[in-house]
Order: sequence, then C-alpha cells, then structure tokens
Amino acid sequence: MSKSWKLFVWLLAAVLVLSACGGGGKSSSSGASGGSSSSSSSSSSSSGDAQDPVELTAWAWNVNVGALNEAIAMYQKDHPHVSLKVEDIGRLDVYDKLSTGLAAGGAGLPDIVLVEDDRIHGYLDAFPNGFANLSELGFDQYADLFPDFKKNLTSLDGVFYAMPFDSGPTGMFYRRDIFEQAGVNPDSIETWDDFFNAALEIKNKTGVYAFPADKFKDDANFRMMMNQLGVYYFDKDGNIDFKNPKVIQAMNNMKRFGDADLVKDVNGWDGTVSATVDGSVATIPFGAWYYGTIIDQAKETEGKWGVFLLPAFEKGGNRAANLGGSSWMIPASSKHKEEAYQFMAFFSTTPEVQIMAMEKYGLFPSLLTAYDSPLFTSEVSFFGGQKIWQLFSEEMPDIPTPYYTKDYAIAFDEAVKAQADVFNGKDPAQALAEAAERLASRTGRAVNEY
Amino acid sequence: MRTKAHVPYLFLMPAIVLFSVFTVYPIVYSFLLSFQTGAGGNMKYAGLANYRRLLEDSIFWKSLSNTFIILAVQVPVMLFLALVLASMLHSLVRGRAFFRISFFMPAVTALVSYSIIFSLMLAGDGLVNQLLEAVGLKAVPWLSHPVWAKAAIILALTWRWTGYNMMIYLAGMQNIPDSLYEAASIDGAGKIRQFFTITIPQLRPIILLTAILSTIGTLQLFDEPYTLTRGGPSDATLTIGMYLYQTGFRYFDFGYASTLAYVIVVLIAVLSFVQFRITGGKD
Amino acid sequence: MSPKSAMYRLVSRLILVAGAFVSLFPFYWTAVAATNPSGKVFAKPPQLVPGSMFLENLFNLNASIGIFRVLFNSTFVTCVYTLFSLTVCTMAGYAFAKFRFPGRNALFSVFLVSLMVPYHATLIPLFKMMASWEWINTYLALIFPNVAYPFAIFLMRQNLLAMPDAVMEAARIDGVGEWRLFVSIVLPSMRPALAAAAIYLFVYQWNNFLWPLVATSTKEMYTLPVALSSLIGLSRIDYGQVMTGVTIATGPIVAFFLILQRQFISGILGGAIKE
Repeated sequence: MSKSWKLFVWLLAAVLVLSACGGGGKSSSSGASGGSSSSSSSSSSSSGDAQDPVELTAWAWNVNVGALNEAIAMYQKDHPHVSLKVEDIGRLDVYDKLSTGLAAGGAGLPDIVLVEDDRIHGYLDAFPNGFANLSELGFDQYADLFPDFKKNLTSLDGVFYAMPFDSGPTGMFYRRDIFEQAGVNPDSIETWDDFFNAALEIKNKTGVYAFPADKFKDDANFRMMMNQLGVYYFDKDGNIDFKNPKVIQAMNNMKRFGDADLVKDVNGWDGTVSATVDGSVATIPFGAWYYGTIIDQAKETEGKWGVFLLPAFEKGGNRAANLGGSSWMIPASSKHKEEAYQFMAFFSTTPEVQIMAMEKYGLFPSLLTAYDSPLFTSEVSFFGGQKIWQLFSEEMPDIPTPYYTKDYAIAFDEAVKAQADVFNGKDPAQALAEAAERLASRTGRAVNEY
Repeated sequence: MRTKAHVPYLFLMPAIVLFSVFTVYPIVYSFLLSFQTGAGGNMKYAGLANYRRLLEDSIFWKSLSNTFIILAVQVPVMLFLALVLASMLHSLVRGRAFFRISFFMPAVTALVSYSIIFSLMLAGDGLVNQLLEAVGLKAVPWLSHPVWAKAAIILALTWRWTGYNMMIYLAGMQNIPDSLYEAASIDGAGKIRQFFTITIPQLRPIILLTAILSTIGTLQLFDEPYTLTRGGPSDATLTIGMYLYQTGFRYFDFGYASTLAYVIVVLIAVLSFVQFRITGGKD
Repeated sequence: MSPKSAMYRLVSRLILVAGAFVSLFPFYWTAVAATNPSGKVFAKPPQLVPGSMFLENLFNLNASIGIFRVLFNSTFVTCVYTLFSLTVCTMAGYAFAKFRFPGRNALFSVFLVSLMVPYHATLIPLFKMMASWEWINTYLALIFPNVAYPFAIFLMRQNLLAMPDAVMEAARIDGVGEWRLFVSIVLPSMRPALAAAAIYLFVYQWNNFLWPLVATSTKEMYTLPVALSSLIGLSRIDYGQVMTGVTIATGPIVAFFLILQRQFISGILGGAIKE
C-alpha cells in the first residue's frame, strides 16, 4: 500500500512541478516567440516608442544560423534596440513547422523564416495571406541589386514576398587527380559531347563513374540541364513544358550517360556524399554550395578538386544554370514586420554581410554588388588554387529563370518518375509525354505541344 | 454487494476528459476537414467531392496496392520470424536477457540514424551487396528497382519490429504449461512439430493481438518510405501514409489529406474485424 | 540427448546469434561513427574500428544543440508523461475491466478506434488548439496529448480482467472504500502489468518526433529527436555529431528497459493470455 501511495504523491508532485515549469518555460520565451499569440506584452510595446527593445525570432537551418547571428551583431551597431533569436531547425523540419503554423492561421510562427526558392511559390499560392508583402514595405528599391532569375523566384505578379539570399550557380566539381590519371584535360571540355567522350576515357582508364545521380528519387542533373537550356517543368505562363524539344534533349543527355554506364546510382543525399568521399565519381555537377560539403566531408582530398562550368549543349552555348538557393520570408502574423523587414533588408543588400556569409559559411550570395570583394578573385587552396568564386560569380548574370509555379512539388514528383522510367529503358520523349499527361490531370494545367 | 453506479465513471473521468480534448476533438476536426476543399487557409465544404476524387485518383490506388502488398508479405513473415525466435529463446537457459534486449533494440532506434545507416547499407555498392557478392550472389538494386525497393522496405520493417513482437510472444509462452511439451515429447513429436501443434495454437489470442497492431502500423506506414525510398522508384513504395503526408504537407491539400486518413481508418477497422473472425477471437 | 535435439540446439543457437548480430550491427556502426570524424561513415570498406574522436564529437554536439539540456527535457517529459499516463490509463482500464455500466463497450470501442487514425491527420487541429491556449513551447504541450493512451488502457484492462473478483468482493464486504480498494489492493497486484505499460509509454514518448517538432519553438525546449534532426541541414551535415547524439539517445532507453524487462515479460503475459 505504501508503495502505491508513494506513486500518487510522486505523480501529484510531478504534475505540480510540471505546471510550474510550463509556466516558467513560457514566460522565459514569451519575448522569443514574437510571432505567436503568446507575446501580447511585447506587441503592445512595439506600438510605442520605436526605440523600445525588440526581439525578433527566426527559423533557419544549419550554417544559415551562424550567418544570421553574425549579421545581427553587425546590425546592432546602429540599431542597438533590435535583438534576434535564431532557432536552428532541420531543413525539412522547417517546412513541416511552417506549414502547420500557417494552416493554424499563423500561430507560433517566427518573424523571419528561411525558405528554399523552389518552395516559395507553392507557399504563396496555398497561403495567399500568409506572408508580408515586401514591396509595400519598400523592397522594390533594391530589385536591381539581384540577377533576374532570383527576382522572379522571390516575387509573384511583380510583388516581392521574399528577400533573396544565397544561390546555387552550378558547376562540375571534379577530381583533378582522376582526370590526370586518365589523361583528360578538363579545360578542353566545352560541350556535353566532349564531356561524354572524356567520361568514357576516364571510365576505361580508371573505372571511375562520370557523375552520381539519385536515378530514381531526384532529378537534380536533369533540372540543371533544363535550366541551362532555358526551359523547365513549366513555361513562363505556367503551362506544362515536358514536350519541349529542349526538355527532351536534356533527358536524352541523361539517358546517354546512363546507357554507357557512366552514371553512378546513389541513394539520396547521403549516397551523393558517400560517392564524393570514396572517389567513385570523377565529377559532381551541383550548385556552388556543394563546396561546403566537400571541404567538410572529404578533408583528406584537399588540393585535388577543381570546378568547371556545365558543358554546353552545342559549341558556344549557354553554360550557366542554377540549382538550389534560398530566401527570407516574413510571415504575415509577425508582430514586428517592420523591424524584421529592416533587418533582413540590411542582411540581403549589405555586401559586407553577404561576404561574411560566403567567407565563413560558404553561402554563395545573389547580391551582385558583393562580387566586387577581393574574396571573389582569391585563390582557393582546397581547389588547387583555382579562383572558383570568380567562376561562379561570373556565371550569375547569365542564369535563365526556372519557372517553378505553385505546382512545383507535383511536377517534380512526375519528372522523377519520368527519369526513373528512362533509366529503366523507356524512350525519353515517351516517358516525358506520359508524365506531362499525368501532371496535367493532377494540376489541371495545359500541356504545350510542339 | 453492489457498488454505486457512479464509481466506474469516476475512475474513467481523467481518461475521458483528456481523451476528449486531446484526441477526440482533433479527430472530429480532421474528419470534418475531409469534406472540405481548398488550399491552406481557405477551406469550403464540398460534400463528398474528396471521396469521389479518390475513385479517379490513380496514385491513391497505387499507394493502396503498395500498402497491401507490403502488409501481405511483411506482417506474416515478421510474425512468423518473431514466433520462431521467441520459441528458440524460450528454450534457452543462459543468456536470455542479452538476446531479449538485442532483439528489442531496433524498435527504439532513432529515425535520424536509421535512415543514414540503412541507406548506406542498402546502396548499390553498400554493405549488404558487398556481402551478397562475397558469398557468390549477384548485387541487388535495393531502393532503385520497383520490386526490390518494396523488398528493402519489408526488410527494414522486419529488422525494426520483429523483436518488439517477439517480446510479446515470449511473455505468452511462459503461460503455456510445460506438461504439454513433455507429453508431446513422449509421443515422439520433434521440436518443429511441437512448434506447430502446441506453441502456435496456444498463442492464438496473442498472435491476433500482434497481427492487429502490425496491421495498424503498416496501414499507417510512413517512416520507411519517407526516409529510405521517398516513395520511389515511380511510386513503387508510395504508401497511403506517405501519400497522406505529401498531399497535406507538400501539396497543401489538407482536405484531401484528411480524406485519405479516414480511408486508412476504415481499412484498419475492416481488417481488424476480419482478423478477429478468422482467428475466432471473442470479446 | 538424441542427435536430433542436439541438432536443434545447435541450429537454434546459431540463428539466435545471427539474429542478435543483425539487430545490433547498425547500433555498433552508429557507435563507431560517433568516435570518428564526419566523413568516415562513408569510407569504403566501412570503418568498423572505433576511432578517438568521441569526446571531440560530443563537445561539438553540445555546442550545437546543448545536449545536456535536451537530454534533461527528454528525460523529464518522458518520465512525467509515463507516470501521468500510467495512472490515468490504469484507472480507465480498471473501470473497463471490473465494472458493468451503461456505455462501457461503446466507450471502449471509441478508445480503440482512435488508434487507427494516422497522426498526420490530427496534427494541425491539435496545434491550433494548443496555440490558442498559449501552450506552444511549454512542457504542458509536450506531455498532455496522448496521456489517455488507448494501447495502455487496453493492456491494463486485459491484465485486470485476469484478476479474480473474489478479492475485491471480500474487501467491499469489509467496508473498504472504492478508492482505497483500487490503490491498496488492485494496484500492488498489477506491478508486472504496470511495468509493461510503462515500457511502451516510455518508448513511445522518448521517440516521439513530429509533435515535439511542431510544439516546440526554442532550442531550450527541444527534445532529443527534434534536436538531432536539427543537425540535418542542407549541404553541411556533421555526421560525427549526429551519430554521437544518436548513441547517447539510446542509452537511457536501454537502461529503462533493463530495469523493467523482467516484470515486462510477465506483465504482457497476464494481459494477452486472458481472452
């Protein structure tokens, strides 16, 4: 009997402690959760004197957190009343939290949230009143500081809803030692045909694959090639463009490498990193941000890396493309929209901030004025002294706009299936036509015929 | 001696109050949502539109058939394996505690590492294939071939939950009288015959319990396709649970996502009932 | 001993050892990765010998997620939840098993049916409700949902059905009150069942991910799974830290299991064998 009573006393005590802690936890974080309804006290203060202290909250993942924290320190020199609390959240976790909060009418959201560019239009369509109109807050004046493709991704119908941050100008990260071993000169590669022949040579001499691809779950290579050719899943008007000859050309290119057994099938992100570390691929076509992964995970290969631009589809053709990149959004439920906007505008348009983010965290800026920094002409020793940042920054102005639309997630789903079909032997034009039909029935969009 | 009529309600009170607020309310809310259409914040009642949409949604049917294939293969294999392991472990004298915890561990594995380790092991040149090649077999395209990807999911699920079920059987076996086995031995029945003629019949109610729990788990299956295959290749491992998540959180169609949830509920209810009838359970 | 049964012994031991190896290998690999620098987990052939980086990984992990605070949160939330839920579910299971009252079967069915609803479907309404109470980012939000855990109610009910009514009748005739009867006669005889239910509740809450993810908004309130998942950024993942965190997260659950496992076995037994 005494034991059972002890259990109940314990429980009672626990519940009491619990409620106390619950209350305590909340009061210590009430300022922090500025976007949530719990901050009634701080919201009333923001309507008073502009110099009242304001604590902003932000959600971001990984290295972006460090960049934000250093930026606020720079910002506080002139705005000592503004502070920032950044929550480090897993990349995909951010979206689950953001979607839940938006679906619950904006509850619990922060003042600032990092969103990848390919998701922005999906959110804007699903939650038309979910995010602050940044043009109204004055962001239009900065429009010309960014390349066109980035402007198109962060705005909808001419209105900015996101402030551009990093981009992913693409390149072929390659292993100098493997190329040398096979006797292939990377500088001689100008077209995909050149690269195909070089890849055959490398495979013959070293047994190493040309590049990795998550054949059945991701179509990153295909998207880079489409972007390079100035096409994408959708055209400018939002029509499905899977039957565009250039889209088919990109898929044919994937198939050519696949048929010659030059593509290493890898499983997801971890598989790609794995191939990078174990030297089973000669190149990795990816956005500039992959630099960070290489230096973190493949430390022992210092000096053995280099970068060249994606080969062109014909001699003299476009070699610029983009993969990935993210921007900052302000949820409409924020109680500190103005302060959040001022800080993020500072973050997005101040070259020193962008250069810091690049130098310390490898986040490649979209801000064109940042490229004047000597950092962009410096030699990178991990990459054998190559001026890789110059290469990427010179690529930026030539990047065509990829049209994502709100249905990007569904289009991606269907494109990956088409790619899987192609790797399983289907004709690319056929696979893409079938995907176009499925996509049309899922989204109600028209398919462009050629 | 009669107890006062209100007594059971007093004991039930905390559970009923908490359950109504934290479980029933969200369930009713999401059930109502299954009759609404629209994106994100803007929902409108649309009668049975979502349920009608199911009929023409080929992805839904695909996910349904995937889920049933996984269910039909995985649950019996896992439960049988769990029974075999449990009976072997039961006859063990020493080292029981070690094996018990070893087999149970996978059930408490953290998803973060589960996905990393399993995708590395099942990669084309991963550990499992290296092992297969070492014993002279051919490497298997785990995760990239429609059939093998299902097999990979089944394998991973079996790894994770066999021990969990084994524990339940192990408990049940302690209630089977030793005299039954002794009598069978005298009659000349070997271990394998004893397993089929004594162990399995004696454990029938427990097998029913685990079958229903596993059915619930498999019909809601989300973790493995989400972390290992992303539902691919070409939707070959897309389960209803995964499709529900994509529809709600990736395509922001919360109404239709709720509809999918209630399809799952109905399927589980029907299957549980059928399993009950087949095994002749009462109560 | 007949050669046949000797054969059985040998084969069954081999299968058990192989099974244990397969079950434990991923944990071993994880632990090894926790002692090596980040990229090593991808090495070919696989790195299976422990390295010397564990302390450094632990230090880095603590710097990025505050492992001790997170460990405290998880332990606190899981223990309070387990005790709280155990009490509520045992009382409910007792009412279902030992009393006849109008609506009993219907009510019990409602509890069981709720198990069938996928958790993704109820996430948003639950979040909305908690947000309106200003419970988001508090321990309350982490503990309260699923306190009335249908599987635990079911488990306790099954066990209590097996308890003879005569004991209770005798106590009632002696004038023992209902509450005292429950606390001092029923509960003490239920220790194995309580241990079993406790393990299920503990495992459920310790590994719970999606709800704690949306219900917390500051690092100080993260539970272990949420904090570990926050290490998975886009291009820069420190696998050494991830694996160290996972290894640490496994510890408490193994300890809890070892403490309760004996009672656990007979606890389930009582429940399942009856009917």
